[in-house]
Amino acid sequence: MLKLFFLSCVAVLTLFGGTIQNDEQFKQAVLQMGKENKIVLMIYTTEDCPECAYMKSKVFHDKRVEPYMKRHFIVIEKNVHKSKLPDGYDFFGIPTMFFIDKAGNKKETIIGSKRPQPFLGELHRIRGIK
Amino acid sequence: MRALFLATVLGMTLSAYDAVHLKKALEEKECIGCDLRGADLSQRDFSGGDFHGSDLSKADLRGSIFEMADFNGCSLRSANAEGAVFWKGTLERADLRGIHAKGANFKGVHFNGSDLSRADMRDAKVWKADFTDTILAKTDFRGSELGGSKFSRTDLRTAKMKKTLLWQTRFSDVVMTKAQCAFAKKEEAIFDLNVTCR
Repeated sequence: MLKLFFLSCVAVLTLFGGTIQNDEQFKQAVLQMGKENKIVLMIYTTEDCPECAYMKSKVFHDKRVEPYMKRHFIVIEKNVHKSKLPDGYDFFGIPTMFFIDKAGNKKETIIGSKRPQPFLGELHRIRGIK
Repeated sequence: MRALFLATVLGMTLSAYDAVHLKKALEEKECIGCDLRGADLSQRDFSGGDFHGSDLSKADLRGSIFEMADFNGCSLRSANAEGAVFWKGTLERADLRGIHAKGANFKGVHFNGSDLSRADMRDAKVWKADFTDTILAKTDFRGSELGGSKFSRTDLRTAKMKKTLLWQTRFSDVVMTKAQCAFAKKEEAIFDLNVTCR
């Protein structure tokens, strides 16, 4: 009986994604930024998503985008088929990018890919959101 | 005067849908082999719908969602599908001549065997779509995102591809202009077999 109870608890805990503040990757990102006020860019991906690959390998490393991203953002990635997704961070399409401040407040959400120049514009805009 | 009257009547006849079919399409999200010419299907959710073999020429599909919907063998000739979402749907062997699909979402769509002559696909999201055996005469892909899509056994020479995203787009057994080939290579497209640049 006790074993059954224990297993049920484990199952419930496995299904429960938890808050963003309790997400390990998010916590690591916040630790990494130290006293700096960077924004966490959490991107949802899948293996068979060329748009995700485009964002990760082209746009994030674009010569105009990369320096700005390094200065003001920390990227964490979650494969929606493999990772636990935090509560309140549902998605409609892949890739979805969530922008979250240090305290765990969602500032903005972008669905789908963007080319380097418009993406950089979005990063500037999001950074300006209070 | 008589000519004007006849032209008006003829125009009305050509774009008139079957009211029963429209009712079925709106209520059931399914209407197979239906007459929906010129029908208003805009700003609605038809996800998972089945319209195969239907005539939707000149229909208004603006802003509607057709996720995983079946449009195989349909006519969407000159339909207005601006901003519509066809994510993972099938549009095989469809008549898409002159469709207005600016800003529409065709991610993962199968266009195999369809005629997209003079289709307006500007600024459309067309990631990972399949254009095998399509007719692309004067198709306007300007500003659209065709990353990861596949073009096979087709002639792209008259298609407009200015500012088109072609990252990891695959080409095989296609004919392109030299300028298109150079642009595609710059965009990191993948040239498989028998790509003719002339």
